[in-house]
Amino acid sequence: MEKALVCQNIVKTYRGSSEPSLDGLDLSIDEGMIFGLLGPNGAGKTTSISILSTLMKPDRGQIKIYGIDALKHPDQARRLIGLVPQDIALYPNLTVKENLRYFGRIHGLKGKKLNQGIQKSLDLVGLSDCPDRKINTYSGGMKRRANLAVGILHEPRLLFLDEPTVGIDTQSRNMILEKLVDLKNKGTTIIYTTHYMEEAQKLCAFIEIIDEGKMIAQGAPLDLINQSEEYSDLNDLFLSLTGKSLRD
Amino acid sequence: MLYQIYATIIKELLLLWRDRAGMLVLFVMPAVLVVVMSLVQENILIIMGETSTKMLFVELDGDPLGRTIEEKLIESGSIEVVKEIDGRQITEKEALSAILNGNFQFCVIIPKGFSKAVKARTRQSVSRSLFNDSVTDEIETSIPDLVVYFDPAVRGGFRSSVLNALNQATLGMEIKEKMKMFSELVPKKINQSVKEMLSPFGAEDLAVDVAEMQFKWNEKRLLEISENPATSSIFEKTPSSVQQNVPAWALFGMFFIVVPMAGALIREKQDGTLSRLMTMPVSYLTLIFGKVLAYIFVCLSQFALILIIGRYVLPMLGTPMLEMGTNPVAIFIITLSAALAATGYGILLGTFSSSFEQASMFGPISIVIAAAIGGIMVPVYAMPKMMKALSMLSPLNWGHDAFLDIFIRGGDVRSIMPEAGSLFLLFLVMMLISWFFLFRKIRTG
Repeated sequence: MEKALVCQNIVKTYRGSSEPSLDGLDLSIDEGMIFGLLGPNGAGKTTSISILSTLMKPDRGQIKIYGIDALKHPDQARRLIGLVPQDIALYPNLTVKENLRYFGRIHGLKGKKLNQGIQKSLDLVGLSDCPDRKINTYSGGMKRRANLAVGILHEPRLLFLDEPTVGIDTQSRNMILEKLVDLKNKGTTIIYTTHYMEEAQKLCAFIEIIDEGKMIAQGAPLDLINQSEEYSDLNDLFLSLTGKSLRD
Repeated sequence: MLYQIYATIIKELLLLWRDRAGMLVLFVMPAVLVVVMSLVQENILIIMGETSTKMLFVELDGDPLGRTIEEKLIESGSIEVVKEIDGRQITEKEALSAILNGNFQFCVIIPKGFSKAVKARTRQSVSRSLFNDSVTDEIETSIPDLVVYFDPAVRGGFRSSVLNALNQATLGMEIKEKMKMFSELVPKKINQSVKEMLSPFGAEDLAVDVAEMQFKWNEKRLLEISENPATSSIFEKTPSSVQQNVPAWALFGMFFIVVPMAGALIREKQDGTLSRLMTMPVSYLTLIFGKVLAYIFVCLSQFALILIIGRYVLPMLGTPMLEMGTNPVAIFIITLSAALAATGYGILLGTFSSSFEQASMFGPISIVIAAAIGGIMVPVYAMPKMMKALSMLSPLNWGHDAFLDIFIRGGDVRSIMPEAGSLFLLFLVMMLISWFFLFRKIRTG
């Protein structure tokens, strides 16, 4: 099976910080998989997503996206990826359709292909009945779905999702998770960060738990849970590995 | 790349269109400022004597001498004599009231009996000098004073120049009257003297034919002073309030674009849209270029609106029409350069501000300071030496000076190149700084 993403020994230390945010991260993700990147606050999840999605450059390491060296040829790699950031990265004074049109054009979509892409994305996230409402009039769940729509508009082969279900109602959350499974079934590879362990357990074929910039566990969720009788679910495993002390 | 620039332009214009407060700042504020400041400064120019002044002229005398003074004042070129309000002759009381109301700055009253008294006094004066003893017993005629009322707001220098014009007019009239009297009395004096000289020889009845004296030579001056402004072309005027204010406030408004522009960039940084865009197959320069082009379009529209106001609206409110010189290419180049500098500043401000509140405070204050030292609010020539030197640092001064060059001094593309070049260079420097800090920050964290 083709590797959607391979990264080796990624190291990143932010300016002014003495400790690295990522310290030798290795990942190998198969095509068509939902991969969960888990960790407590400050573990390095968002830094990982930022580096893997070519937004930020690492201090060291290699990243290959579908065989393309993403550090040497970021523009080629960017044509294959989509990003759904943790923030609602949309223009609140534009309608969802206008947002989609703009981001679609930035991806080079034109004419019929652009219009079809917009309609398809709206249908997928359940916003096709209110495409002309400004984002700032949407509920939290609708904003999250609109955020997802922009990420999938250009049909990326590799989709990065940084906590896509944070702070929304159960119905919207459920719908987003269903749509992610649909996308996976259509061949999209998904790299997914979340704090919700039951979500990761249900959705991901493979997970990696990181803490303080380092990998502390990896494997299929059930395999990891079955390593010890102490763990009844992924949540137990996670707390056991990362501790119960609060992280800010 | 062009398609992505086009997409960014459309998005920016759409966002700006939806930002009603931003639109007010960009279009309504400079439009109101240019109207208000032009009207206010038009009045100041009148007070300072930089423009033709209307003077009330109340003629109570009814004899031709008053008319002579009126003609002399009109000849001075800077005074427009008004003798009627609403189609009827004004009284002294009405004239005084009009001055007190600020409707006029000056009023000259030619008192009743003025001409008769001047003529009588001239005759007495000339007779005394020619016939020494013949009129000594006659009581000297007193001349009623010419009265001038001033608006208290009229500045000293202008007041002196009006009084000077009036003195010139009365002096001219006095010489004319004296010469008339001389021409009438000198032949009589010659006859009288000749008779006295020849009487010992029995020639008392001898009539001496003395040619009548001509006095028209008095009306022709020997030396004329020609006053010309130092311009390189056909313009012979100092800047009108409209020529001063239209480019000044258009530039001011143009630089205010930094507020919505920096705000848009800050929001993109804060809500993650800029980061999202940076993971798409589009370069930072393409995104920024699209943004700059959209705002340049807004700046040019804004400038066109202010020019239309200067050309068509302000004249309806009583100011002179905006005269823009003869070089539209030079106007376009300097407008474009100023727009580039303004947008560059917007990007720079958006790069270094961490919140919209910060940018919306610092941006306008810095522009007001740059406008104040740049001669937008107070002309540079009226500033103290140190401030004049400081004004050279203000980009608004560069732009304004170039506009005045085109509008007033007949400047062309070549003459505005130093200012246009400086503005363009400033744009490049600001863009480079922004690129270095913003791009580096996003890519390196």
